[in-house]
Amino acid sequence: MSSTLKGITLKGSAELVAEFFSFGINSILYQRGIYPPETFTRVTQYDMSLYLTTDAKLKNYLTNVVSQLKEWLFDCTVQKLVVVITCLETNEVLERWQFDIECDKTAKQSSGPREKSIKAIQEEIRSVIRQITATVTFLPLLETACAFDLLIYTDKDLQVPEKWEESGPQMIADSEEVRLRSFTTTIHKVNSMVAYKRTDSM
Amino acid sequence: MDGLDDDTTVFTTLKSFKSFISQPDTSQHLAETSMTKSDLQRQYIHRIELEDAAAKIHSQTHLLQMAQEKKQMELSHKRARIELEKAAHSSARDFEREVDRNQDLLTRIKKLEEREAETAQVLNEQTEMNKALRKTMEGQNKKLEEKDSKISNTNEAICTLRDEIRELNHKIKNQEIQLATQATENESLQEQVEYQRRKYQEANQKYQSLQSSECLNSENELKIKELERRLALQEQDSVIVRNMRTELARVPEMERELKRLREENSYLRETKENSSLLKEESEGLRRKLERLEKIKEDMVNLELEKEKLAMKLQAWENLSQSTGLNIRKPEDLSREIIQIQQREIGLKQQNYSVTSSARALEKARTELQNELVQLRTKVLEEQKKREQQDALVRRLQKRVLLLTKERDGMRAILESYDTELAASEYSPQLTRRVREAEDMVQKTQAHNSEMEVQLSKAQEEAGSYKLQAQTAEMELDILKKQATNADNSAFVVGEEVSSLRQKIEELEAERGRLEEQNNVLEMRLERHNLQGDYDPLKTKVIHFRMNPTSLAKQERQDEVEKLREECRQLREHVRSLQAGGAVAAEEGTFNLPPSQEVLDLRRQMESAELKNQRLKEVFQKKIQEFRTVCYVLTGYQIDITTENQYRLTSVYAEHMEDSLLFKVGAV
Repeated sequence: MSSTLKGITLKGSAELVAEFFSFGINSILYQRGIYPPETFTRVTQYDMSLYLTTDAKLKNYLTNVVSQLKEWLFDCTVQKLVVVITCLETNEVLERWQFDIECDKTAKQSSGPREKSIKAIQEEIRSVIRQITATVTFLPLLETACAFDLLIYTDKDLQVPEKWEESGPQMIADSEEVRLRSFTTTIHKVNSMVAYKRTDSM
Repeated sequence: MDGLDDDTTVFTTLKSFKSFISQPDTSQHLAETSMTKSDLQRQYIHRIELEDAAAKIHSQTHLLQMAQEKKQMELSHKRARIELEKAAHSSARDFEREVDRNQDLLTRIKKLEEREAETAQVLNEQTEMNKALRKTMEGQNKKLEEKDSKISNTNEAICTLRDEIRELNHKIKNQEIQLATQATENESLQEQVEYQRRKYQEANQKYQSLQSSECLNSENELKIKELERRLALQEQDSVIVRNMRTELARVPEMERELKRLREENSYLRETKENSSLLKEESEGLRRKLERLEKIKEDMVNLELEKEKLAMKLQAWENLSQSTGLNIRKPEDLSREIIQIQQREIGLKQQNYSVTSSARALEKARTELQNELVQLRTKVLEEQKKREQQDALVRRLQKRVLLLTKERDGMRAILESYDTELAASEYSPQLTRRVREAEDMVQKTQAHNSEMEVQLSKAQEEAGSYKLQAQTAEMELDILKKQATNADNSAFVVGEEVSSLRQKIEELEAERGRLEEQNNVLEMRLERHNLQGDYDPLKTKVIHFRMNPTSLAKQERQDEVEKLREECRQLREHVRSLQAGGAVAAEEGTFNLPPSQEVLDLRRQMESAELKNQRLKEVFQKKIQEFRTVCYVLTGYQIDITTENQYRLTSVYAEHMEDSLLFKVGAV
């Protein structure tokens, strides 16, 4: 968390955004039923109850990715984070939860804190997560066994770390897109949206 | 020993000799019968002599032989002695060996004796044990005998018990018979009961039927009443019927009438149909008539039109005549029109060209006007110049005049000087001055002439300018005329304006379209961005290598592989099952869920095994029984020690171990 209650620094912003992604990804995985609901536990965050996984492997994976993401957020080299949900039977991409991250690169030079309270940011984050929860009402049901992957769009000149590799954008062939709310820490702005495969019934 | 043998040979030879001598007495006697007696005697003596000599030689040789033999004997004796000595030595050695062996044997004997003593002791112990055993045997025999007696007693008891059993069986049979009879009685009673029950049921049924019949009765009574009522009604009806009959008598007449009426009806119908047909026809005709009338009206109209047209045609023809054109038909007209249109187009084109030329001319005019203005200004300038030059010329001329006057004055002065002075002192100076003055005059004259030339040039130029101005004015006039014409073509300008406006509108529309396109493209870009597209020049996509998707895919692939393998094995299994047999080898690799069939088979197998075991047990029991019975009855027991080898033991044998072993031969 940021050291002061009134302002926010680059480091604090990166941590806040990374925390949001951790909870957001967990929420998506719970809401979309990628992992069985009994492997999740309730926690209270942002003044609302959220679900966090208890699956050790998944936990390990998420902490790995989120810590790396935090670094990149601090470096302002990350552009997008995408949660790709793939059908295991057909290897078809069914859903893409895309979080566009706009970094204010000037924050790297000027280290002074920005004028925005954490409370206000958390309020925005809460509304985004609420919306993620609400999307279940219109997203098509995932009837087959699915798995998820996290793609990170970064600047071209970034050195790919060990254990990471380049990937494709994993686009959906015939998709419908819905824009969700966004939030900003004044240093990082996160626009969220979901794209899903258009089904015949729709 | 050898000598003895030799003596015997001598004796045998002597004996043979004597026998030979005795023999010829008889044989020679026979021979002498054929020969002479003297010869015989001599021969005989000679022979004896010969024989004596021979005997002597013989004996001598014999003697020699004997001597040799003796020598040999001696030699052999010596050899024998040596051999004997050798033999003695060997025998002495043998003897020693024998003595040693003897000692060994003695020691062995001693040992054996000791052993014997031991064995004797053992034997004694054995015999004692034997005796004890025999005693116990005897005791057991006695016990056995007692047991036998007991057995016989029990046998007797068994016999008595059997008798009792037989009696009891008899009793049981009797009781069974009684039971059977009672059972039969019981059955009969039951039958009776059933019969009674049936009767009861029948009675019940009858009662029920009776009740129902009572009900029916009451109903029937009601019905009867009703029927009576109906009967009354029927009587009334019958009266009516009678009336009806009377009416019915009229029926045939009516029928006839009806027939007639029907015929009439049909006739009328036909006529109706005919009439309807006729009506239709008449209607059709009326319509036709109407149509014809209409057609007639049309005809009249058409005739009127025709006349009009004829008039028109006439007019046309007249027109053609008047115009001199070859218009007779509308085609001609159209042709003409087309031609006119073409002409019009041509004219339009001409017009356009003219307007364009007009525009060009306008432009030229404006240019020329400008030029004219310029020229005028130039002309004015030139005029000014000319005036200036004129003034200059005048001044110069004045000056020239002055100069000439001056010169003349000077010359006069000079001449006066010349005349007056004629001195040579000033003359050179004066001449020089004069010359100078003359030069100056010449220069001024040249200048004057130059100026004049310039003037003339300027005048010429002015003339040319004037000409130009005139031409320009002419042109201007022309252009003005054209401008008047151009005023006529103001609408052309209007057209141009409108076309320009149109163009502007088009451009506006295009702008709007482009803007829209731009918007669409922007939207598309946005959508692509939303779909996750990215600029590969600026961005790259990375993900964690060990992500859940790839792991899940890997797992899935493994599973599929495993299942495939299993499927393949199962297929093979099925194939082998279809082929029949050779299943047991692979049974270990499969843990098939036991199907119903397999379970049934297992149960059957278990029951069969149980059965087998029971049979074995029973068989063993039986064979034991048989063997004991054989042993008891015959007193012999046969055991199979090994294959093809049987041991026969008898109960009457002296010892328990006594037995006979038999072996089955190869045959």
